[in-house]
Amino acid sequence: MNGPGRAAWAGLLAPVLAGAIACVVLEITGPGLRLYAATSPGLAAAIAGLLGGAMTAGVLGARRHADRAAARAAAAALAAAAATAAQDRLRFLARLDHELKNPLTAIRAGLANLEQATGMRACSGPAPGDEGGAALASVSAQADRITRLVSDLRKLADLEAQALETAPVDLPGLLAEVAEAVGDLPGASQRSIRVTVPQAPWPLPPIEGDRDLLFVAVQNLAGNAIKFSAPGDTVEIRASEDGEALLIEVADTGIGIPGDEIGQVWEELARGRAARSLPGTGIGLALVRVITARHGGRVAIRSRHGQGTVVSLWLPLPAGPGAAADVAGSRQRGDSTGKAVA
Amino acid sequence: MGDGRHDGRPVVVLADDDVAITSNLAPFLERAGFSVHVAADGTTALELVRRLDPDGCVLDVLMPSPDGREVLRRLRADGRWLPVILLTAVGESRERAIALDEGADDYLNKPFDPYELLARLRAVLRRARPGRRPLSASPGLRAGDLRMDRVARRAWLKDTELTLTPKAMLLLDYLMTHADELMTRERLLEVLWGFDFPVGTRAVDNRVAELRRSLGDDSARPRWIATIPGQGYRFVATVEEAR
Repeated sequence: MNGPGRAAWAGLLAPVLAGAIACVVLEITGPGLRLYAATSPGLAAAIAGLLGGAMTAGVLGARRHADRAAARAAAAALAAAAATAAQDRLRFLARLDHELKNPLTAIRAGLANLEQATGMRACSGPAPGDEGGAALASVSAQADRITRLVSDLRKLADLEAQALETAPVDLPGLLAEVAEAVGDLPGASQRSIRVTVPQAPWPLPPIEGDRDLLFVAVQNLAGNAIKFSAPGDTVEIRASEDGEALLIEVADTGIGIPGDEIGQVWEELARGRAARSLPGTGIGLALVRVITARHGGRVAIRSRHGQGTVVSLWLPLPAGPGAAADVAGSRQRGDSTGKAVA
Repeated sequence: MGDGRHDGRPVVVLADDDVAITSNLAPFLERAGFSVHVAADGTTALELVRRLDPDGCVLDVLMPSPDGREVLRRLRADGRWLPVILLTAVGESRERAIALDEGADDYLNKPFDPYELLARLRAVLRRARPGRRPLSASPGLRAGDLRMDRVARRAWLKDTELTLTPKAMLLLDYLMTHADELMTRERLLEVLWGFDFPVGTRAVDNRVAELRRSLGDDSARPRWIATIPGQGYRFVATVEEAR
């Protein structure tokens, strides 16, 4: 190799090393991100406060009004701590994103430099037997992968902070558009994709929301349903309302989620065993959770391993004329519980 | 690296405090046909611009003393209208709006594809109007009957004010300040959302449809926004500064 060529290789070495370090940082902070949320000092203090408060209340002989006051104080402490933990997490994401940006920019510039020097663009692919070219293409692909991961993390942080641009959203139209969009995904033509929206006794009312974001949420779910199912499986995208909330569900007859993984699916960077062989960064469901929460709603997932999965999004119905209906119901005892978050 | 415009290559000042970035980007841009001068801080960048009178400038926003945004402000205050690309980093969406408000010709979010920087740089140099304020630094724009007050973020068609969502207004602003350029859906998506959003490019199509409805534009015979099949959109009317 000639002089300038060697210089270019040497120039590449530094950023590639930085890249390797960035990879290690990400490997460590992947699980660390969850650990961080679970061990936030604010949250830990509040949990200690909650336990302390509960014990104190017990010792004092549990007069009813004292209990209520303690419970209220504990709930307030817990809510405040959860807010602090969320802030801590956002700051952490912003810092991580910020620290990775410059090394990644340098790596990509170094690679482009090297491609120019060796007269090759990595994306055009190396010639057969060209080991240097193959290595270059591989490093380039990995740099792109880290870039995607960083940008996905930024999306989450951005979404939690930025103002929503809300307007009335026609949900049936949006769901039909999602079905059309995911119809282009690999394997979609071998699934039966159905959209069901009620017409009787009245059609779904429009909801107030950011259409682009709601689209992203439902599209992510429908994309997952296709990704984690097989030819011949069914994917249902459906919506309904019960007078209080609007429910959007995406259900599939796919491979389902193992019981030991379902608790982590809403966390950023969480990827199940089945997902590891598939493209993606593990940000999709975290995005869905954040988008739903930003709309004042909540999400839940139910799955049976080997049978399929259904994800439910509840969004508040707008109040106002046209939304009300006369209601009469019988009183029931007990309630049902579900695994709801956000 | 060259130290003047003796060889006819366009002269570009590249300012970023991270040597890992400039030491890789500068040779890349040199090989692509630019004469590149590197600055590691805002003061040096200002000195280089005053001394070299370059054809264009690439400024990192998060540089020390003064930062990229302040450098841009001082350049414009001096009446220097050379094309400027900002490299933005924090709080993407906020950063983006500011970049447009302060008269950057374009911006890229780190970590960017260097080939994308090359494409943007060539585009802003092509669009440059030597000695004249770029459209992206103008407070008002006009294209036929369409008028835009960029500071107040309001637009009128003849005498009727257009009712646009903030994102549609941002899109119209970007299309008008980059008139006659082919804008891919991906690029416009980044303009609207600050990153490559997984919503796919339908979000862009929806906003363009909103703009066309407001403008009464016919996509088959566009007066303002033309669809370039399989590629993106182009603002086809001639845009000039409005007083």
